Amino acid sequence: MIRIRGLKKTYQRGEVETPVLMGIDLDVSLGEMTAIMGPSGSGKSTMLHILGLLERADHGEYRLDGELVTELSDDALADLRNQKIGFVFQAFHLLPRATALKNVQLPFTYAADYPADADERARQALAAVGLEHRLHHRPGEMSGGECQRVAIARALVTGPELILADEPTGNLDRRSSLEVMAILQRLNREGKTVVVITHDQAVGGMCRRRVNLIYGRIDSDQPVEEPVDAAGMLAQLPAPEETGP
Amino acid sequence: MRIGRLIRLALEGAHSLWDIRLYALLMMAGLIIGIAAVTVIYEMGEGVRMRVQGLMENMGFGADAFYIRSGGGVLGFRRGGSRKLSLTLEDAADLRRIDGVAMVVPHQSISQKDISHGSKHTSTRILATTPEYSTARRWPVQNGRFIDQKDLEARSRVAVLGTTTAAELFPGQSPLGQTIRIANVPFIVIGVLSSKGASPRGHDRDDRIMMPLSTAQRRITGEDKLSGMRVNLTRDADKGLVVAEAQELLRSRHRLAPDAPDDFMIITPEALLEMITRQSRAMVFMLTVISGVSLLVAGIVIMNIMLVTVSERAREIGVRRALGARKRDIMTQFLIEAVVVALAGGACGLALGLVLARAATWGLDLPTALSVKGFVVSFIFSAGVGLFFGLLPAKRAASLPPLETLR
Repeated sequence: MIRIRGLKKTYQRGEVETPVLMGIDLDVSLGEMTAIMGPSGSGKSTMLHILGLLERADHGEYRLDGELVTELSDDALADLRNQKIGFVFQAFHLLPRATALKNVQLPFTYAADYPADADERARQALAAVGLEHRLHHRPGEMSGGECQRVAIARALVTGPELILADEPTGNLDRRSSLEVMAILQRLNREGKTVVVITHDQAVGGMCRRRVNLIYGRIDSDQPVEEPVDAAGMLAQLPAPEETGP
Repeated sequence: MRIGRLIRLALEGAHSLWDIRLYALLMMAGLIIGIAAVTVIYEMGEGVRMRVQGLMENMGFGADAFYIRSGGGVLGFRRGGSRKLSLTLEDAADLRRIDGVAMVVPHQSISQKDISHGSKHTSTRILATTPEYSTARRWPVQNGRFIDQKDLEARSRVAVLGTTTAAELFPGQSPLGQTIRIANVPFIVIGVLSSKGASPRGHDRDDRIMMPLSTAQRRITGEDKLSGMRVNLTRDADKGLVVAEAQELLRSRHRLAPDAPDDFMIITPEALLEMITRQSRAMVFMLTVISGVSLLVAGIVIMNIMLVTVSERAREIGVRRALGARKRDIMTQFLIEAVVVALAGGACGLALGLVLARAATWGLDLPTALSVKGFVVSFIFSAGVGLFFGLLPAKRAASLPPLETLR
């Protein structure tokens, strides 16, 4: 799915050059669930943005699904993002005044062919994250966990192979975090390739492989022996208190 | 770009505009003023044009006639030049001999005199003239007859009424054969003119009384000189030549020194047009500058506010880019937003402009025109302003790096 060789990225702010990634080799196979971990400043966010085709590397090769994306035009990258990648962000990044349904349909706006069943597919995606009862709610009317699930539905709706999640639980409480991770684990079991950027060891422990970045290099890359099952953890939590409607 | 995608982007733009409606209203404000100014200018320009036409019609001008007025001065300015009556019937007789002149119709214009029939009084404009008037102005009577040569020779006390005057003095009955008193002199009504209705300026052309010139000279004004005369040309006449010849003839008949100004004024449709153009040019120029500046300001306001919204919407732009929007998609959406706002502003400006033009031309006694051209012009102006001044913010939006906006 992903094949990276000799990837380098340096940020330039004025006269100061800050090398962020200093020669990364990484392969992610179809159907893997990988956590990219590291302290802040380790380059993990940059890694995700390059993986997500939001940014170009200075050096090195990046093949996505066999295609050498380092050579592609901006427009071609935009189309690939639309078709092959689903993003989940720490801050959700939903359009605040659009309903959940509208937010989930947004990727279709930029699709090469607008599907005739866009509405139905958006409803299915929302159902897949357990939000069929929130179709017409706006982000402000939902909890953080629900917003993140809308964001996951939006990432799913075009049927991409690859889900890229950037600190998906960073803004969430424990229960919501587990809910989100349970969904990502389920998607992975259903065949999606999932890459999660996180500094949270617990989140890392729910993935099947952990890549540690330190100062722009891969420090360690190991499989997780027994990934924690988020759904199981969730079941052990005490029932949530009923807090209003 | 495929049409379906364009429509989807337009819908996204419309949604976004609703989200930033306060900004959108601010953006519109500039254009409302600008387009209102353009509309006012345009409407007034049309009004002036119609007024010129109206004046010419009012004086019975076709291309085949001109008018000579007693007293010198500059056309369009009441002061300067004497208003002393200078033209005579002998002048008229000599003018008839010029090659290319078909008819000369002299007249005296008599200011408001008391006119009565029994207990009914009115007061209107009296024109004392000769039988040719009806033919020269192509203005026949609807009842009775017009003044004829015998009336002129006998200085008969006969009068022809306009329909308005007739209705005022003789409501519901025929005025023919009745006696009216003009400045206490009895006149017999011999005819009623056909109705011409209001002039384009709103002046009622049917509120008038006509009488033989000779009668007026003897009984009403006691004045031999003429207020003016109308000169009708033959079909193949060279108007410029005839006008020049007429001027020379009148100067020599009035024994004017070579450096003395004319003591009469020749008014041609062309001169009238030039006068009105000259008078309105300054106003139009000023308003054009104002509207140009306000359109520029409107454009800058749009650009400014859009730039603000672009930075405020950086995150939204980043999300759209992450979800697969090309730079061109973002640019298109923002351009659509700018044009939609501009068109909305333009529409409001047009409405405001029409109201203002109505008010302004009412004060200036100008007619107004509601024209398709006005709509088209303001549509093009607003769309143009939106496109031109929306371009920079749209480009800025499209070139925002998605990465930084998503942090």
